[in-house]
Amino acid sequence: MKSGNPHPPKLADRLLQWFAGSAYMEDLLGDLEETYAIDHSEKGKRKADIIYWQHVLSIILSYALKRRKKNASYSSYFSDHSLSMFNNYFKIAFRNFSKHKFFTIINIIGLALGMSISLLVLSITLAIYKSDDLQANKDRIFQINTSIVDEELNTKTYGSTFHAVGNHLEGKYPFVESVVKIKNGFNPEIKHQGGEMKFHGYFADPSFFEVFSFQMISGNPQTALLKPFSIVLTQSVANKLFRDQDPIGQVVETKMGSFSVTGVMEDLKQTHFLFDVLASYQSFDQLETITNLKTDWNNYRDNYVYALLKPETTQSTLTESLVQTSGIASEFNPNQTIKLESVALKDVVPRWNISNALGIGWDQPSLILFMSIGLLILLPAVFNYTNLSIARALKRGKEIGIRKVVGAEKRQIKAQFIIETVLLSVISLVASFFIFIQLQREFLDLLRASAVMDTSIDFALIGTFILFAVIIGLLAGLFPATYFSRLNPIHTLKGGSLNQSASISHIKKGLFVFQFFMSLVFIIGVSTLTKEYAYVLNKNHGFESENTLAIPFIDIDKQLAINELGSHPDVKSITTTSSLPGIPLSTMTGVTPNEIDTFSVKQIFIGDDFIENLNMKLAWGDSKDLNRSTKNQELVVVNETFMKSARVFNFRQDSLTFTSEDGSRCKIVGILKDFNFEPLDQMIQPLVLRHSISESKYALLTIHSSEIKKTIDELNAIWAGIDQTAHFESSFLDDEIEQAYHFLAVQIKFFSFLSAFAISISCLGLLGMVSYTTENRTKEIAIRKIMGASNKNLYYLLTNDFVKLILISSAIAIPFSYFFYDKLFLYFVLRYGNGLGVIEVLVSIVFLFLVGFASIFWQTSKVAKTNPARNLRYE
Amino acid sequence: MKGFIGEFEELVLLTICNLNKEAYGVAILNDIIKRANRKLSIGALHSTLTRLEEKGYITSYLGEPTNERGGRRKRYFEPTQRAIQELNNMKALRDELWAGSKVNLSL
Repeated sequence: MKSGNPHPPKLADRLLQWFAGSAYMEDLLGDLEETYAIDHSEKGKRKADIIYWQHVLSIILSYALKRRKKNASYSSYFSDHSLSMFNNYFKIAFRNFSKHKFFTIINIIGLALGMSISLLVLSITLAIYKSDDLQANKDRIFQINTSIVDEELNTKTYGSTFHAVGNHLEGKYPFVESVVKIKNGFNPEIKHQGGEMKFHGYFADPSFFEVFSFQMISGNPQTALLKPFSIVLTQSVANKLFRDQDPIGQVVETKMGSFSVTGVMEDLKQTHFLFDVLASYQSFDQLETITNLKTDWNNYRDNYVYALLKPETTQSTLTESLVQTSGIASEFNPNQTIKLESVALKDVVPRWNISNALGIGWDQPSLILFMSIGLLILLPAVFNYTNLSIARALKRGKEIGIRKVVGAEKRQIKAQFIIETVLLSVISLVASFFIFIQLQREFLDLLRASAVMDTSIDFALIGTFILFAVIIGLLAGLFPATYFSRLNPIHTLKGGSLNQSASISHIKKGLFVFQFFMSLVFIIGVSTLTKEYAYVLNKNHGFESENTLAIPFIDIDKQLAINELGSHPDVKSITTTSSLPGIPLSTMTGVTPNEIDTFSVKQIFIGDDFIENLNMKLAWGDSKDLNRSTKNQELVVVNETFMKSARVFNFRQDSLTFTSEDGSRCKIVGILKDFNFEPLDQMIQPLVLRHSISESKYALLTIHSSEIKKTIDELNAIWAGIDQTAHFESSFLDDEIEQAYHFLAVQIKFFSFLSAFAISISCLGLLGMVSYTTENRTKEIAIRKIMGASNKNLYYLLTNDFVKLILISSAIAIPFSYFFYDKLFLYFVLRYGNGLGVIEVLVSIVFLFLVGFASIFWQTSKVAKTNPARNLRYE
Repeated sequence: MKGFIGEFEELVLLTICNLNKEAYGVAILNDIIKRANRKLSIGALHSTLTRLEEKGYITSYLGEPTNERGGRRKRYFEPTQRAIQELNNMKALRDELWAGSKVNLSL
């Protein structure tokens, strides 16, 4: 035997030591080493090593070590968190909650408010990811997408594709069971009770109901979309149009022709499709005769193809065939590189980056944006909790000290605090849930896609919420738990001051500034939007909107109606129009200024005296002679933007004539000054006013009446005298315009919610911080008072720090808001708004200061007013 | 007191008695391996020793530091009076059964 002992494998030793922890191991290690030495001399190193490993493992798994580990821990709950200890944590947590009610309430309210927005985001995200889950063939359906690389090598992916791809796939590849071609843009205005109702829908192949499992309520799903000019309605549309009648076999009249109803399907639910009506694909073929989409390899916009594969066909098979098909597509489009791709139905929404997608327009970037708004509200609430918990270190320090002295380990203290926080956040979740239900109702009303999203509350959603609350609890509790577990028991038990609790640390200051910065930004947002809203409603749009009554008329003798209604004594003047000014215009048409180029303009058909009655200003020319059009030349009025656009196209300035899309030669006799004919968020577009009473849809009455209601009733009577069947409706142009700005009202509402939440959370945080700093300084204040400090001095002393913080945050928030709202936000929301005002900013700051000071004052006055003698005895 | 003495526990106890003052881990281990021709790991042996100690059949004490074990002390085991009593009971029972056997047990 060599001198010196042979060394057993180190790794095994380490493993054993790590596993044993603080257990008593001396004799065991001795035994191990002794057997190793014997084996080493008898059997050689390799064998001895193996035996050593076996022994080590046997010890690790043995009862002996388990027993020793248990003995090594001096308290019985060390090795496993026993149930009774958890019980104790819960008990302590609840006792603490009820002991510090103020702290608990602040945090619960704060977290509940903060979480509610996140819950909303979660529920909507979940709903979007759930779309098309109910489709029976969801694993076999694929949407065909088109990736196009242009000359600058930018790749753009479209959700749409050439319809020829559909026919090609179906004809050439036997593994494709069925193909559905969908053409977006079937937007009929269905005539209904003398008016028109707008609907949105698609042209779809007859196979639609075979591939997608939407239930038909009545009608035959196989044949419903077979014939041209057949239409399938969703249930809610059918109810709107036909109420109690059986819709099957009814005929609906639209501008595109008469469609006969062949089916009623259930309302859409949990899908990415978004439509009210479906027309047969054949109808599109008949309406559009120039290009035959089935063989067309050029148009990919608004054309969609879905392929249903035979069972047990993999996506890669489809991908291969699409690669071949891409080759054909590229031949037809030599300047572009075209790549066709397939996307499983489940992955159609949300996508990361997709153009021209069909149905609900949620993509991942907008979801992420939405989520970050949620977090922006939630994080301050979490910060508050962290701040306030640590601020209470002085109070809880003793408890922790005793726990540690009795034998609690760091991780037990951590576990205790984390459990406490998770408990608090779960309680907040319950409160938050009620806020969420309210919010969801409001929010879904604003959302166009809400109709097809499944936002019902189910187990998955509740589970997600609870998981979310637990994560938030862990997040909020982690920092305080680590902080508390590190406290030195001797120090805290001696009552040594924890320096951090008396003054505010830099991190906390930063968090404060951030919170108030955000609140201020939100408040300024609300006041700005409110101001813009008032502005657009009161603004002179460039035409008279007051006292103007709009009466929709279509199925009535128009000339007679104009004469009869105009004869009423309260009606000063009457004119007609095809669409109301101040409201979005849908009709675009093309004009050709030079016989070659065409550019698109918006057009309105107006009656006599339209421009005069609405007090529009002409920059040039005359508008009186509009009705003197001849067959060869139609006299029209355009706006200045029209002239600007036309100039680009070599417009013959001298003759002032152009050809409109319907073939009539037009001569410009007047030029209107530019004004917003559409809402202020729309660009001012080239506009043509043409004279035609037969094309008009509204009678515009300028009314001067002391009793509006009586006048309207009388007008109704006149109307009934002309035509018994037509339906009389009237509304003031002002109200119509107000409705057109509904989107602004919606945004104001949303912003008000957010800012109310942000402000409440930051003020709660402020309140909490002030109350704890003042509480910690009770003794100091008492001494100051005894020494002769006045109340004023004390207020100054206590509020000083916080006022500074609020000032700093406003100093950051004001320039930021100015840039954000004035330069970015309003530009998108309202192109022709009048920007951010000084008064709004001032009002917002004053508001924030008032709320902030009120919470500071409330707490400080409590301390400043009490009897100093009592306060001195307090600690 | 809980439990009877199992077969392996009896083996360990008797080995301790045999080794007398030299009954520590490795000695017991090697003795059992040699005599009973069994494979035995340190972990298994110490588990049994721990159980015997819990049941009150053996006590243990630490010896002096020794060179060959890296200066670590040995833990020596001794049977208690209870263990001797129990071993006797077991032996008496077995003798009785052997004596009363109707089958010829001699080889």
